[in-house]
Amino acid sequence: MNDLFYVAVTVAFFAIAFAYIRGCENLRGGAVDE
Amino acid sequence: MTGIFMIAVYFVSLFLLVKPLGSYMARVFEGEKTLLSPVFGWMERLIYRILGINPEDDQPWCKYGAAMLAFTLVSILATYAMLRLQGMLPLNPQGFDGKQMPGHLAFNTAVSFASNTNWQSYSPELALSYFSNMVALAFHNWASASVGMAVAIALVRGFSRKSAKGVGNFWADLTRATLYILLPISLIGALFFVWQGVPMTFHAPQTITTLEGAKQTIALGPVASQEILKQLGTNGGGFFNANSAHPFENPTPLSNFVTLLLIFCIPAALTYTFGRMVGNVRQGWAILGAMTVLFVAGAVVCNVAEQAGNPNVAKAHVMTQSTATQPGGNMEGKETRFGIGASTLFATVTTGASCGAVNSMHDSYTPVGGLVPLFNIMTGEVIFGGVGSGLYGMLMFAVIAVFIAGLMVGRTPEYLGKKIEKFEVQMAMLSVLVLAASILGFTALSANLNYPKDSPINTFAGSNYGGADTPYGPTVGNTNNGGAHGFSEILYAYTSATGNNGSAFAGLTANTPHYDLTLGLAMLIGRFLMIIPLLAIAGSMAAKKSVPVSAGTFATDNGTFVILLVGVVIIVGALTFFPALSLGPIVEHYQMLGGGLK
Repeated sequence: MNDLFYVAVTVAFFAIAFAYIRGCENLRGGAVDE
Repeated sequence: MTGIFMIAVYFVSLFLLVKPLGSYMARVFEGEKTLLSPVFGWMERLIYRILGINPEDDQPWCKYGAAMLAFTLVSILATYAMLRLQGMLPLNPQGFDGKQMPGHLAFNTAVSFASNTNWQSYSPELALSYFSNMVALAFHNWASASVGMAVAIALVRGFSRKSAKGVGNFWADLTRATLYILLPISLIGALFFVWQGVPMTFHAPQTITTLEGAKQTIALGPVASQEILKQLGTNGGGFFNANSAHPFENPTPLSNFVTLLLIFCIPAALTYTFGRMVGNVRQGWAILGAMTVLFVAGAVVCNVAEQAGNPNVAKAHVMTQSTATQPGGNMEGKETRFGIGASTLFATVTTGASCGAVNSMHDSYTPVGGLVPLFNIMTGEVIFGGVGSGLYGMLMFAVIAVFIAGLMVGRTPEYLGKKIEKFEVQMAMLSVLVLAASILGFTALSANLNYPKDSPINTFAGSNYGGADTPYGPTVGNTNNGGAHGFSEILYAYTSATGNNGSAFAGLTANTPHYDLTLGLAMLIGRFLMIIPLLAIAGSMAAKKSVPVSAGTFATDNGTFVILLVGVVIIVGALTFFPALSLGPIVEHYQMLGGGLK
């Protein structure tokens, strides 16, 4: 149970980090390249 | 004077390495043939073939970042499993098992080494088998340093490429950094440390009888192979609890000096690599110049503060002057064999870089002497910084600096012929803000949480190490000191974790579920939520066209830019963290001047 918690915390953080990549890329879609 | 002379000799030696090593690394990352291609080329090709990697596959920044995250996630989980199961694994003469590495500590340790932090909430001699040291943790000493270099090079490619979709291949960069840069230097360096007296053995710890007749256990192990990567990769995690103050990790003045060179050599040389890859080495020298100005200022202040010592000691008629027979100043927490000069230089090097190895205890420094290492980390580890992380952090500040310069003169900011637009500034500010939010948020949390006295969440399980359990209750209870110094101990811990430094003020008992979990999260945030926006900048810049240099272009390869860059680093650091520093070392300094010894 203890181990599951820490594994879940790790996986959850990386899930957020993967989503962060997507979020940054979506934001870039609005950037203007002259 | 000796301390200042030592800083001068150190810098001359370091600068001699910058050009040859920087040129070599540029060739490695550009996939050109080098002197070592005949030695490692076959190994590189074999790795690509086994893992099915096409090194020519140019990855967009999203794919590059996703590969980096996937690699790190898998390696953290594998390390966690190895630490928890160390009792069932080989090379374990001390008979350690998962009891010495409970879940919260295994999480903290796995994250710590994977993020190049190497914060250690445990005493290695009492908790880690040789296998855990040599496989589970040493793997990250290689991999986390290589990941840092790979990310820095991806960002450099962002600036050097024009109208490109990709920023390189993560797997190829990782492989090349490990094989051509870390491996050859480590092989030679490990032999150097063995020559200097660092143990390299699988023998179990030896129990000996001292001259007084007492029994003493001398911890041994495969130290030299760890020591080299600990410094070269700016990792910093020690084989022994005393880290580089331990004579088996750092036996001689020569090993101390070489250690200092190893910590800074790759971060410093990467600035030259950057200059070469963007086609103007003066750009690299400008970045190196800014790093040097920031470092020297801190090193001198720290040295002077420690040499001056605590004025209350002098008032108590204790001699604090430096003479031929005693160093004077503040020698508490310092090795007599190193003295003040080599200790303060080490403290500023290890915190300027994101190394975190220590040869003296920063908790025992004077308030101003302790403020310098703290401030060095708060800048975002850009004063040379970690392997790769120093360069990408400083380039982030360069983006902000040219943006501010653009605001001042009313022109669209440019850097290296690329326009800096809204998106790049947003990403740079995200990187800056996430560091501040983590450091200040977690510090505030741990300065105020009141767990019940018997709460297991903030209890140190000393019984796992032959002692007694210690329930702390409120999270300020884990500090050795009260008041401003106690606050500094908590602030330093989260600054060190978020900055991926890993050095400790050494006055905080952090091996409790609360601190292990929150410090681990701070390390993850400080590493990966900073890297992702920077890779986004790389992708955005690589896709841009180059703007021709005109009379209105703001030059970024001269002294004016160096001053601007230094100013931005200090102002961003000072404005963000000044209130917290005021509650810690600054108020402690005035308490000391007011007559208190603590």
